[in-house]
Amino acid sequence: MTILATEGLTKRFPRVTALDRLTVTAEPGVTGLVGANGAGKSTLIKILLGLLPPTEGRAAVLGLDPATQALDIRRKVGYMPEHDCLPPDVSATEFTVHMARMSGLPRGTARERAADTLRHVGLYEERYRPIGGYSTGMKQRVKLAQALVHDPSLLFLDEPTNGLDPKGRDDMLALIRRIGTEFGISVVVTSHLLGELERVCDHVIVIDGGRLLRSSAIGEFTQATQSITVEVEEGQEALAERLRAAGRAVTEHGRLLIMDAGTPGAHDLVRDAVCDLNLSLVRLEQGRHRIEDVFREEAAHV
Amino acid sequence: MSETGTETGPGTGTVPVAERPSGVIHDIGYRHYDGPRHGRGHAFAALTLNSLRGVFGLGRTARSKIMPFLLFGVMMLPAVVSIAVMAILKERALPYPAYAVTMQAVLAVFLAAQSPYLVAPDLRFRVLPLYMSRPTTALDYVAAKLTAMTLALFILIGAPLTLLFAGELLVDLPGPPHTGDYLAAMGTAVIYAVLLAAIGVALASFTPRRGLGVASVIAVYLLSSAVSAVLVGLLMSTSRDAAATWAWLINPFFLVDAVQNWLFGVEPHNDGGYPPDLGGPVAAALVVAITGLCVSALVLRYRKAAAS
Repeated sequence: MTILATEGLTKRFPRVTALDRLTVTAEPGVTGLVGANGAGKSTLIKILLGLLPPTEGRAAVLGLDPATQALDIRRKVGYMPEHDCLPPDVSATEFTVHMARMSGLPRGTARERAADTLRHVGLYEERYRPIGGYSTGMKQRVKLAQALVHDPSLLFLDEPTNGLDPKGRDDMLALIRRIGTEFGISVVVTSHLLGELERVCDHVIVIDGGRLLRSSAIGEFTQATQSITVEVEEGQEALAERLRAAGRAVTEHGRLLIMDAGTPGAHDLVRDAVCDLNLSLVRLEQGRHRIEDVFREEAAHV
Repeated sequence: MSETGTETGPGTGTVPVAERPSGVIHDIGYRHYDGPRHGRGHAFAALTLNSLRGVFGLGRTARSKIMPFLLFGVMMLPAVVSIAVMAILKERALPYPAYAVTMQAVLAVFLAAQSPYLVAPDLRFRVLPLYMSRPTTALDYVAAKLTAMTLALFILIGAPLTLLFAGELLVDLPGPPHTGDYLAAMGTAVIYAVLLAAIGVALASFTPRRGLGVASVIAVYLLSSAVSAVLVGLLMSTSRDAAATWAWLINPFFLVDAVQNWLFGVEPHNDGGYPPDLGGPVAAALVVAITGLCVSALVLRYRKAAAS
């Protein structure tokens, strides 16, 4: 079953084309929607929720058409916006109960599910305090809870890790993974960091300037962009030369060397080269796939 | 809304619940919900009730209860005094149809203080997208907010009237009770509530800042009542009394009073009466037109906000 599909979806605003003949499909599971700021991610979600009419093209969410069955879609999906959306003077519990009722849950069930959901996202005693006093991490959890409280079949999470510190980011990503696997709820999560999404997604859709750049299972991305990042204190050029001599593709990014690591033994090669040249190694790590890498690759294919 | 401990409440889900020794909260896993999911009507009722409670500060901080309850108390005061007067002097103090127009300043302050609460926080803190991503349309949202304010104002006007009527029945004045007057005043209370709610909520919805909302509503009231009073004074001093009767209609409270005068045949509560013949129908048409204008502005405002 396809959870969402678009066909030639186009959205033009007076000054900008947000989506340009976008045709994508997503299967159940966790789907990442990656693109730089302004790539059209949020516009796509708004069209899928039936809040914005597309200029051209068609879309389907859970087999329903957002243009004519928006209310049926909204009953079955949850939405966590990118921006702040919480009133400061009510408690997380009250707010989540109210939002559950707005999704059509009876009063008793709304309370029960709000308590359960807040616990699942990791809010305990603090949920009785006004939201105004919460940290960014806690607010993100409340935003997630209000999207999850009515047990949707599909969750739209718009930049859920925005503004979080590394620990909060990890927690949020782990939670998203849990929602997708243990809770059995399909998730569409947007981010401008591909490296972040590859940890939780089954499938990644990359869009840029409103166009589809790429849509594939996460495994294909990992293979395609395997690289090692090396940083040394000085003698960068010598190292690059040495590695190139060993038959590796090396590119320089400021103080960093990025080496192709498609074959085994790559780490050993770097270690030996650094030792032989008597350099101070600052960093040696698995290459982080960034959105730019995909863009660069796609550009190379054209 | 206070939350009771539902940690161990019975579930409606299908995932088996793990063993739970007493006193320890275990992760019982995620439970799906297969129960009923109500539609727009349910959401509308939930939002209306939530907003109505909020207008009176219920479910909010203690500080936000002060203003509405203080004003509610002030509205009740003349009814209490009137009952005392009836009981002691055996005569009617304040006629029902004059109640709202006499207390217009209190109603205006209530409207100005409480309408921004209904709409401004949802705009300012951007809660609106959360409503719009649920089975609620912009129209439902506007209708719920207007209904809540209308009900709040109706309670504010209707409660003292009803208390006063109950008092009159209990005191048992000589002659029949003024049931007709009471019903006319209650009918007019509906008109007051609808018109004032539409004006207040529409004005408040144009700014996400609560202070500005309060100021704009009170400014509109002060301006209209001042302009009306100055014009009436000016026209009366130059002996153009017919024109003066029209000038009263600039103040929304006297506008509704003119409608009451025409619809229910009760005496006018201004100084000099309203324009004869055409005055009543024109006043009624103005009430409908202003309400329509405000509601249309609200709907347009929120249609646009929902899509952004």
